[in-house]
Amino acid sequence: MSTGKWFKSGSPWIWMTGGAVSISLIAVLGLLLMIAWRGLSYFWPAEIYQWELNDPNGQPYTLIGEIYDSEEVPTERLIAAGHDFESLPGDTVKRYLVKTGNREFVGLDFRWVLATDIISRSKPENVAVIERSKNGDFFGYPIAVIENGQRLPLDDVESSFESHIERAVALNNDAVKLQKSEIGSINYALEKLRLKERGYELDEQLTDKRKLALATQRAELQAEYLLLEKQFFALREEAGRDSVVIKDMRGMEVTLRLDSILDVTYANRMGLISKVGHWFVGIGRFVSDDPREANTEGGVFPAIFGTVFMVMLMAVIVTPFGVVAAIYLHEYAKKGPVTKMIRIAVINLAGVPSIVYGVFGLGFFVYMFGGTLDQLFYPEALPTPTFGSPGVIWSALTLAILTLPVVIVSTEEGLSRIPSAVRQGSLALGATKAETLWRIVIPMASPAIMTGLILAVARAAGEVAPLMLVGVVKLAPNLPIDMNFPFVHLERKFMHLGFHIYDVGFQSPNVEAARPLVYATSFLLVSVIVSLNLTAIAVRNHLREKYRSLEH
Amino acid sequence: MISIDKSAMSTNQIDLNNLSQEDTALEIRNLDLKYGDKQALFDVSMKIPEKQVTAFIGPSGCGKSTLLRCINRMNDLVEKCHISGEILLNGQNIYDKKVDVAALRRNVGMVFQRPNPFPKSIYENVVYGLRLQGVNNRRDLDDAAERSLRGAAIWDEVKDRLHDNAFGLSGGQQQRLVIARAIAIEPEVLLLDEPTSALDPISTLTIEELITELKSKYTVVIVTHNMQQAARVSDQTAFMYMGELVEYADTNTIFTTPRKRKTEDYITGRYG
Repeated sequence: MSTGKWFKSGSPWIWMTGGAVSISLIAVLGLLLMIAWRGLSYFWPAEIYQWELNDPNGQPYTLIGEIYDSEEVPTERLIAAGHDFESLPGDTVKRYLVKTGNREFVGLDFRWVLATDIISRSKPENVAVIERSKNGDFFGYPIAVIENGQRLPLDDVESSFESHIERAVALNNDAVKLQKSEIGSINYALEKLRLKERGYELDEQLTDKRKLALATQRAELQAEYLLLEKQFFALREEAGRDSVVIKDMRGMEVTLRLDSILDVTYANRMGLISKVGHWFVGIGRFVSDDPREANTEGGVFPAIFGTVFMVMLMAVIVTPFGVVAAIYLHEYAKKGPVTKMIRIAVINLAGVPSIVYGVFGLGFFVYMFGGTLDQLFYPEALPTPTFGSPGVIWSALTLAILTLPVVIVSTEEGLSRIPSAVRQGSLALGATKAETLWRIVIPMASPAIMTGLILAVARAAGEVAPLMLVGVVKLAPNLPIDMNFPFVHLERKFMHLGFHIYDVGFQSPNVEAARPLVYATSFLLVSVIVSLNLTAIAVRNHLREKYRSLEH
Repeated sequence: MISIDKSAMSTNQIDLNNLSQEDTALEIRNLDLKYGDKQALFDVSMKIPEKQVTAFIGPSGCGKSTLLRCINRMNDLVEKCHISGEILLNGQNIYDKKVDVAALRRNVGMVFQRPNPFPKSIYENVVYGLRLQGVNNRRDLDDAAERSLRGAAIWDEVKDRLHDNAFGLSGGQQQRLVIARAIAIEPEVLLLDEPTSALDPISTLTIEELITELKSKYTVVIVTHNMQQAARVSDQTAFMYMGELVEYADTNTIFTTPRKRKTEDYITGRYG
């Protein structure tokens, strides 16, 4: 076939378009796969090695750790960096990045090991990986358990160690629960009382009688507080009763208190099934725990909760607002240059950089609107702001404005797709325009409204820059929903997965330790956005079906 | 001349010029209509008799649909549409400022060229007009639905699937459903805008039979481009051309002895 004919047949065109689709697909899938692989493999229990190494002075030493990464380095570069080789090892040398843990004893818990320095490498069966609430992991050999200051004479150190850890973890959990719920509520109530008193004072209605009543209440709460505090300290003390003696890689015996130990595993001894189990447990803890150690350890539950809550709040605000605006523009506004200009302006709003919305949200919502609210309704708390500082409601509002154009545009599109015959049919039956809108037009446009909402959610869930100005923090002490009246605290600051990625990846003191967390959190953020979208898509499909088949 | 089944035609002839007040359902007086600068209706005056079928015929673009849509003020929806003149329904000018358009449309029902059921169940389609009026009693709605569906000769076909989506019906069934929907609110006048032009011949026949039945209870005004249909179903026929009402008389006269040359040319198929 001649080239001319081939071109006319359209084949090159099909190849070109098909190729474009394939490249996009491969890019998206590749990205997702990479994030998923790197994020999820973090929870897989890695094998622990013990190396015998030569240090630069030729002295042998021992290193215990897991291999984090490896790379080939040109020998020349190493020589230029001042490394002496006894015999030239060839053009490149392999080197390993080893995570050694034991942060408080070795200074750096990640170090590069040159293959040429390795004398031998083994995989000891009984090396323990101890997960701690402070200072990261610890690698070593458990030697003895100290209970109540007494070193226990034991044959089976490991099982005793595990049972003691379980006890300490349970006590610690009780203590945390007590602190978070009961003690938290009392603190909240005390703060409320303080504000009440200050409120009376401002209104000059603080009579002696009231003062007395408040004082009694406060005394009661304080008594309760002291009681709980006692319980709390008792629990903490009980948890810290025992400790464990562990031989670390320097050959020294180190005593670790059990109240800072969360878990112990013997990774080299685990079979596939227990590794899979451990992997699931790890993922479960990651999504359900609070973060620790400046966010570089522990879970991301508050960030997941904050992201989902803020996005839902945004959806609740933006949908009615956008739909009403679209209805006015499409149904009631006179078609003319002014309407046209408004429509163009609305569409162009979608192109404004999001940080600009953040600045606007901070200036308008937080300082002006929130500040005014504070002066009107929360004068007793001043100068501490209530609504006049960044918070989840202002974030949701700012993102609602950011995503408003999307909802307006797709709603308008949906409205214009409704056949005029159906509208006229309703009008001809004596319906007014408003009745036609409510009963026929809006239900029929609801799939389009949902499409707008899906796009809005997708955009809002991925937005970080404006949130840094209007409500996101590195670590929020409380969730925006808790058990203290009025249960939903829209003025609170919140954590967000997007910001968490930035914070962990770029603001953390321990970059190497944080790297897999960045992938894991990214994967989680993508999953959250996808599941939010899938929910919305399911609702939309249901609506589409509804206006195609049965009404009830 | 095209052949016409004379037996189907109305025999009781009415003097349309001297129609008494009681027998007049609608009176159109000097109606002019402009779409922007373009005038679509020129000084139309006619009296439409009660409980009879009146057909508007004429070539495409002659203004017959426009005239029909003036009767329930559907032209209000068209931008830059300007109307002068009067249409009297029960002695009341429907273009009077005091008139409630929604109430007028409850009194003057309309069926469109293409079936336009709502995306709801058959039942909900029929009772839509009643629900608008605030009727929510299940019993009343059920009764009205059955009565209207029987009235539109579709009851037997849908009685077992009242709660299925109306889009599951065939085109002809949909059109009868739309008629049922229109008569559910018991209007005085029923406007049919080329109701069979999108249907197959058998459905057309069913609808035509239905129209002859409907005139016992309603004043029916039908626009059609099909002359045989006009001859078959109507008692009066109005021939329109270029926005003017050329001739208006009982159907028998129009089709056998038209007085105007234009009418004769049209019905003998010389143009249109």
